[in-house]
Amino acid sequence: MSGGWYVYGIVGRDVEVLPETRGIGEPPAKVEVIPCGDVAALVSEIDLDQPIGRTADLMAHKQLLDITVLDAPVVPVRFGAVLDSRDAVTKELLEPHHDEFSAALRELEDERQYVLHARYVEEPLMREVLAADPAAAELAGRIRSRPEDSTRDIRLQLGEAVNAAVEQRRRADTEAVVAAVTPVTIATAVREPTNEIDAAHVAMLVTTERESELERVLSGLADQWDGRMIVRLTGPMAPYDFVVRTGPTSS
Amino acid sequence: MTTAVQSGGAGGDGALNRSSSSGLAEVVDTILDKGLVIDAYVRVSLVGIELLTIDARIVVASVDTYLRFAEAVNRLDLTESGHSKGLPEFLEGAQEGGAEKKVKGAAKGAIKAAGDTVGDLVNGGRERRRAD
Repeated sequence: MSGGWYVYGIVGRDVEVLPETRGIGEPPAKVEVIPCGDVAALVSEIDLDQPIGRTADLMAHKQLLDITVLDAPVVPVRFGAVLDSRDAVTKELLEPHHDEFSAALRELEDERQYVLHARYVEEPLMREVLAADPAAAELAGRIRSRPEDSTRDIRLQLGEAVNAAVEQRRRADTEAVVAAVTPVTIATAVREPTNEIDAAHVAMLVTTERESELERVLSGLADQWDGRMIVRLTGPMAPYDFVVRTGPTSS
Repeated sequence: MTTAVQSGGAGGDGALNRSSSSGLAEVVDTILDKGLVIDAYVRVSLVGIELLTIDARIVVASVDTYLRFAEAVNRLDLTESGHSKGLPEFLEGAQEGGAEKKVKGAAKGAIKAAGDTVGDLVNGGRERRRAD
């Protein structure tokens, strides 16, 4: 077996992992803490001959970080980071970035991420679009009960108009979400839509004491938009969307 | 088995679907695309991920998108007004939330901070992104 050290994230040095905690791999690997100064890496020793990236691995990576953040700040590392040895984790990762990690963890104290994902309900969305665009409504009339292949050009024209209208609504609704949560969050990051009828996809960083306020604000929006879209709030989770490299490594 | 997770003060009957963990597509989107990138790390072989990532990304408008939208409009004309077709996959994810909360509640505590790291902190320096 050629071994490697898989890194999940960076935590403070006083974070402890219960012996039964498991991470990625099959069978799931033990999770360990490698400390260095004020910080530590959450790691597992894995077999490099075994490919990773199964659904279970992805879930395990995220779950570990999301459970960790319930009790202590964590800097999430992108999935798939493996170093050669325990020593490399200390010498190549923790030591050179110690102060950077330490500062980031201090800033992330009591902060967690939520993700709002809203998706339009198709039928009301289409009704809304047609009602606002008589030209599109006219095109819709022209394809009705006619065979698909004889109306392809009209369909494309109609689809393009609908798409533009949906994009416009997505921009407006995303802006509405950001505007509504900005007073109660530390930061927001707009994510790319993952579906063509996505209404809004926004990551939010919030302090623990304002979480219920955030939820109230979003409940208000969701109620207001009920029937028009389905709104889902996921979290708390580790601050994936708010960890950015500040510059090239000093070495 | 009880859950330690509160769903906040917003009440559970509103239109907001609460979920403490994400579906696979959202997980892929989150941990493959976000988070700290370590400079010189080994990329171990990843199975299945490329495909999933690509699936999650097909949102750029294309001919297919246009045709699907046209078809959605066409369906609209044929359906009786009122009852809207839901989004099974999306809703499923939301409904899983309840069960997943329990899982998390049980798993909570797998990791604990042995002491408070820092009391006061200087809150500056780091640039925070704010969408405009």
